[in-house]
Amino acid sequence: MLRPATVMRLGHHMADTATHEAHVTSTGLSNVKLGMWLFLGSECLLFGGLISTYMLYRGRVSNGPTPEQIYDIPFTSVSSFVLLMSSLTMVLAVAAAHKKDDRGTNLWLTVTALLGATFVGGQVYEFTAFYNEGLGFTTSLFGSSFYTLTGFHGVHVTVGIIMLIALVAINKRSRVPGSKSETVEMIGLYWHFVDIVWIIIFTLVYLIPV
Amino acid sequence: MAIIERPAPGTTVPALTPAAPAITPSRTYGALRRPVATTGWKSWLFTVDHKKLGLMYGATALFFFIVGGLEAVLIRLQLAAPDGKVLNADLYNQMFTMHATTMVFLFVMPMAAGFANYFVPLQIGARDVAFPRINAFGFWCLLAGGIVVNLAWFLGGAADGGWFMYAPNSGPVFSPSKGVDFWTLGLQIAGIASLTGAINLIVTVLNMRAPGMTLMKMPVFTWMITVVQFLLLFAVPVITVALFLLTFQRSFGAQFFDVAAGADPLLWQHLFWIFGHPEVYILILPSFGIISEVLPVFSRKPLFGYPFVVFSGAAIGFVGWGVWAHHMFASGLGPVSVAVFSLATMAIAVPTGVKIINWTLTMWGGKLVFTTAMKFAIGLVVLFTIGGLSGVTHSVAPSDTQQTDTYYIVAHFHYVLFGGAIFGIFSGFYYWWPKMFGKMLNERLGSWNFWLMVIGMNMTFGPMHILGLQGQPRRMYVWTEARAGEGFFNLGFWNLIASIGSLILTVGIGLFLINIVVTARSKVRAPLDPWNARSLEWMTSNPPKEHNFDSIPHVHHLDEFFHRKYEEDPTTHTMREVASAEDVLAELERNADKHIHMPSPSYWPLVLACGMPFVALGIIYSIPVAIAGGLIMLYALYGWALEPATAPESDFDAPSSNGHAVGASHG
Amino acid sequence: MNHRDSNETPAGGRLSVARVKAHRFGQRALVATGAIALLGSCATNAPQDTWQPKGPNAKMIDDLQQPVFAVAGIIGIIVSVAIAYVIWRYKDRGQPIPEQTHGKPALEITLTVIPALILAVVGVFTFRVIFDLARTDDTQLVINVTGQQWWWEYDYPVQNEWGITQPIISSGQLVMPAGTKVLLRETSRDVIHSYWIPALNGKRDAVPGRIHTLRLEADEPGIYAGQCTEFCGLSHANMRMEAVALSKEDFASWIANQQAAYQTPAEGTLAKEGEAVFLNQCVRCHQVDGLKRPDGTLAIAAPDENVWSGAAPNLTKLMTRNTFAGAMFDLLRDACRDDVWKADSAEFGAKYLAGVDEACLNVNDLRAWLRNAPEVKPMYANPALLTETNGKYRGMPNLGLSESDIDKLVAYLLTLK
Repeated sequence: MLRPATVMRLGHHMADTATHEAHVTSTGLSNVKLGMWLFLGSECLLFGGLISTYMLYRGRVSNGPTPEQIYDIPFTSVSSFVLLMSSLTMVLAVAAAHKKDDRGTNLWLTVTALLGATFVGGQVYEFTAFYNEGLGFTTSLFGSSFYTLTGFHGVHVTVGIIMLIALVAINKRSRVPGSKSETVEMIGLYWHFVDIVWIIIFTLVYLIPV
Repeated sequence: MAIIERPAPGTTVPALTPAAPAITPSRTYGALRRPVATTGWKSWLFTVDHKKLGLMYGATALFFFIVGGLEAVLIRLQLAAPDGKVLNADLYNQMFTMHATTMVFLFVMPMAAGFANYFVPLQIGARDVAFPRINAFGFWCLLAGGIVVNLAWFLGGAADGGWFMYAPNSGPVFSPSKGVDFWTLGLQIAGIASLTGAINLIVTVLNMRAPGMTLMKMPVFTWMITVVQFLLLFAVPVITVALFLLTFQRSFGAQFFDVAAGADPLLWQHLFWIFGHPEVYILILPSFGIISEVLPVFSRKPLFGYPFVVFSGAAIGFVGWGVWAHHMFASGLGPVSVAVFSLATMAIAVPTGVKIINWTLTMWGGKLVFTTAMKFAIGLVVLFTIGGLSGVTHSVAPSDTQQTDTYYIVAHFHYVLFGGAIFGIFSGFYYWWPKMFGKMLNERLGSWNFWLMVIGMNMTFGPMHILGLQGQPRRMYVWTEARAGEGFFNLGFWNLIASIGSLILTVGIGLFLINIVVTARSKVRAPLDPWNARSLEWMTSNPPKEHNFDSIPHVHHLDEFFHRKYEEDPTTHTMREVASAEDVLAELERNADKHIHMPSPSYWPLVLACGMPFVALGIIYSIPVAIAGGLIMLYALYGWALEPATAPESDFDAPSSNGHAVGASHG
Repeated sequence: MNHRDSNETPAGGRLSVARVKAHRFGQRALVATGAIALLGSCATNAPQDTWQPKGPNAKMIDDLQQPVFAVAGIIGIIVSVAIAYVIWRYKDRGQPIPEQTHGKPALEITLTVIPALILAVVGVFTFRVIFDLARTDDTQLVINVTGQQWWWEYDYPVQNEWGITQPIISSGQLVMPAGTKVLLRETSRDVIHSYWIPALNGKRDAVPGRIHTLRLEADEPGIYAGQCTEFCGLSHANMRMEAVALSKEDFASWIANQQAAYQTPAEGTLAKEGEAVFLNQCVRCHQVDGLKRPDGTLAIAAPDENVWSGAAPNLTKLMTRNTFAGAMFDLLRDACRDDVWKADSAEFGAKYLAGVDEACLNVNDLRAWLRNAPEVKPMYANPALLTETNGKYRGMPNLGLSESDIDKLVAYLLTLK
């Protein structure tokens, strides 16, 4: 008797499936990794558009303080350094994950998240300080484009932190779907991207004079 | 659902008969257990099957096609005579804005996405796309975006700034209704669909091709879709930035396009057209792909100059990034920019011409069968040529300063987009209908459908060349007798002809809808290989099984299916049949794979997408609603993150022994 | 495997025959295109016909585009004929499935290079015209043009060589000397508009915050119709304009008249009462140069306090123009209008300079406008819907004038010549 497309629930673990699929891709790269690279490529254009907007408008201050008047370069340099260091700890987390060292992975992921949170905290402090000095979101074109660009980046860091914390939480309960080291690597890719974007933003926004 | 056991060998499986297993999910992700329905509406709402999603994209797009078409008819009724009274100025401005928005973002793009979803995996011999849940999420985003954009009709008026939404006319002062807010937010949501779709399809094409299918053995449709996805991948973020800035200006008081604060209105134009011109190729290339499948099939010859067609498609995609400012020749860019963009625009005409030459030469020396699909394909070649040539006339920038923003441009892009994109889509309907539904669209109705559309289309858009060259600008809710002139080229006569043409066009498209109904009610099943087709999507049942192929074919040729059916006669060089389609299929079934892993349905894509309209409405009306929407999305992400794409066994209770075991009912 | 890339297939031979045929068709196409172009130039066309240049700038564009149209037409016909031929020649008559040829690179490259060469030639000429049309160094007269919703303002800066000793501000109709290289300096006070007089040049956007230039030159005196071509909101369709070219002598007298002192209507006339109504109502936005209040002070309009764009048409010498409300309405009755519009270039100047008198006044439209402007031209002038503009109008609101006030105003406006 014909059994068309019968659905079975045989013992195939998800991890097996993922590994299996990883082997058959035409490029050799896993789907998720390739997908993440493409996503980041798209993100480049997104940040490109926002950075262009900022570069066009940074000198247009009809009202309120100018960039030179409010930027606190030493402070931002320190918080940038913190974010840069988080890339290093992220590398360590990925390495630990590859070694299937769960404790190490969780440790370094947590440190990365903390460093990221420090950066975001710094940004919140900076925004508050700027606001008190008279630069609101609607004060000038410079204000609008500065807050949009850096805020947008800050949201990216925050999303990264949430992903890191979630990963640690899920990892502790051993419920990571798919390959664990690959998931860590993916979030790592995203994290490094966000860091690199910040280096560009820091250079263009803070360091290059109007 | 999870794993599909190999079917019994040597039997044809006409369609997936859902197994309807009485399994109960045991595991909770977020607060929800796995959906298990394989029939009924639930099986559609929570599906991750690329074919079901393709059909849902198609149905949604078709709905919006009707909406956008009715908007167009209203526009033409208003303009049939001078000082039209059908619509007032405000309503007319909303109508042409929404006509373009609907046709571009909610019809042609999702329809192409539908075809791509359905046929790209089939054409490359894959069982699904790379990220099935993201695929489902994309569809729901599109639907949510389409609903949000159109919701404005019922909440104080739709967007009224034109689909190009130039600043500062789109700002809060100059467009005080909420229409533009709905528009920007809706398009951002729909943009997510394009972005996720792009990533998904690129990964699918790059990673999941059948063994032996090198890039240069991929069907041209898949190639063109791939080029389009790369365009989307890089174009969508640019329009997203523009929409973002506009939302921030309108809803949160940012100054991005406020000239009084020193803003430059040209920023919007650059951002919009950096997206907008690639968008034109996003709209047309899928149809180029479709007819590059249809023409060879009905010429019984391979595509002439396959590598030229592929590379010209890629070249169009690439050069398409360097021509955006040709939409801005009258914007005051300065002569150097204008000259550069003028030359770049001429350059892009070359690869486009290559395609037309190749299609013509594909038919040359062939054995042409004029099915409705073939008629639409040939219609595309001719009509697109007209549109392309009128395009060349305004690549000449000084000439464009006379033509831009007149009906000449309206004529041009309707020949390109109606004669091109839509004719290609209709060709695809007729060609692939038996594959998707197992029944063939009625060819006689199809022929009427085609001829009425050709006549209607030429009557509607042909006269617009004259109207434009006679100086009738676009986007005017009335035209006046005082500027109409007399004699053969007077505006009144040609406006009337165009309006009559639009009604004929409506009848033509109505026939297609009737054809769908007639076909659905017909009991005649389509043969396995109704067109004597050439590519992999035909090497499976009509419609395909959930897992597409019993065994993944090994590919040796471009046009693999054809070469399994035919061999060349060594003396006459003509082709003779060596195997029937049924033979080819039986061969695949004999080697059917043992275990087929299929991704499982999920609630989360739908839930995640449902949060978006709340965020949008919240931004417009009340921030707490947006926060609630955000929480829904966070919750959905949480459930999604925990849920494996393919359900493991432990997700379900063990089968009970009272006959509820999986597959028992079919045993 | 099964395919051969050969140049000696039967298809190749047929192709060259077809190419000869196509060539013959091409010649016929040229003739046909020429005939259509001729027909186009003979017929009485719409006033905004883009194929009938009346000045050197538009002529430059036309000379560039006509060959492009012709070549495009010929190519279109060649392609259509080739496809028609293929359809007829190769339709399925039971012939065997042909050899699976995959293309001929040499043919392909040839057919790619030919259009590329054609376009390269077009490109060279295009390049030259773009730069010629961007020249500003040969300007003889400068006129500032400002767009706003939904009308155009013209501002003639002081240019003593033209007798312009004080700025002249006008609207709707651009008056310029014929045979003179005029440079428009365009900008906008609100959204983007586009200035387009098809007979004289292509269009150029008027963008707020930027100044763009546009060359205009008319060969002969005459009136040349135009239309705003960048979508600018509600009444975009009603934002029209004309360029009026006068001989240099006529232009000089136009200038002189524009600068002539204000003449208050005689006491006791209806027009004098109209002046009072004007001072009471209209002068809030509309300037009439030299108009004095009863106390002897100059009446200065303050449109910036009432209108979002900050301007309303200056009505000094209104009746020397023959359109109003963004050139949406004629100030002349149809017969008088045709008399001016269709005058030949020798008589045109005198007829235009005669302006509008009571007999020729299109009193219906003018009264309808004064009675309730937003009803006859869609505008954002509803006092209830002005939250986004802090209460400022975009367009002329309904002033609620009585019929007798309208009588008086019409009488007064007729004196503004």
